[in-house]
Amino acid sequence: MELRDLCGGPPAVILNKESTVMDAIAAMVENKTRCVVIDREDTGDAYGLLTITDIIEDVIARGLEPLKLKAADIESKPLIASNNLDLGVRWVAKKMANEEVSQLAIFEGEDLKCIVSDVDILKAFAKKLKGKDSSEEEEK
Amino acid sequence: MTEIDRTLRSIVKEFKMPSISHDSSVANAIIEMTDKEAYALLVPRKDKHDAYGIITKRDIIYKVIAEGKDPKEVKVSQIMSKPLVILTNLDLDIRWVAKAMADSKVSVIAVFDRGDFYGFATSKVILEAIYYLEKRHKLDDEPLYVSC
Repeated sequence: MELRDLCGGPPAVILNKESTVMDAIAAMVENKTRCVVIDREDTGDAYGLLTITDIIEDVIARGLEPLKLKAADIESKPLIASNNLDLGVRWVAKKMANEEVSQLAIFEGEDLKCIVSDVDILKAFAKKLKGKDSSEEEEK
Repeated sequence: MTEIDRTLRSIVKEFKMPSISHDSSVANAIIEMTDKEAYALLVPRKDKHDAYGIITKRDIIYKVIAEGKDPKEVKVSQIMSKPLVILTNLDLDIRWVAKAMADSKVSVIAVFDRGDFYGFATSKVILEAIYYLEKRHKLDDEPLYVSC
């Protein structure tokens, strides 16, 4: 199993730089995702990522107002990224553990290809584990 | 305009969590999680002196897959978190629920009502609560047109 196999999910939700935290919350709830990407201004700028944990810890726990705060103020930037699509799943998981994150941005060349989350890894493992079980049953 | 309810009691929407036995393998936990789309499983206690435990997707990614271990060889009891992070005051504001999560670095908190188990507060339900409160706030502000 390689990183390439994990990139099958829906495309990342991208918000512009001027969005408020409330816009990000709405985008997450409506799209049922745990993170949104904040777009960059030009090629010299970096993409940012805003996760559910950032919002809970940096906005709601501090009693700040999601309507008045810009998403760009609390985003993680630059992204924790990977561009080696042949990387084994084990090392993808290790990278998450090292960086203490649950999402990685995957780039193919210059373009943002997808966001891989820990849920994608679990699903890939579940598929593999189930696949083995069913093939064993067939043999019997 | 009615008073907007921001208490812990109003946001808890999940009263049950799928559970898994402490001596089953992590492979079973992965299948259980993806089947039920619930990425945290409760581990019941052995007797009344024991504590409840919890196993989340984070435990599995960080402690099993990242270390290159075989999920079939590792048991749930080896990687679960125990005891649970709990809250007992049901009238607590959302803000302090979020603060409790941030301080203990977890995404699921068990809620007890006077010693009895009540439900779970997750980071997802907090976000949804904020979203719906804002939506209702907008509805309350706009003039109401009733067409007949």
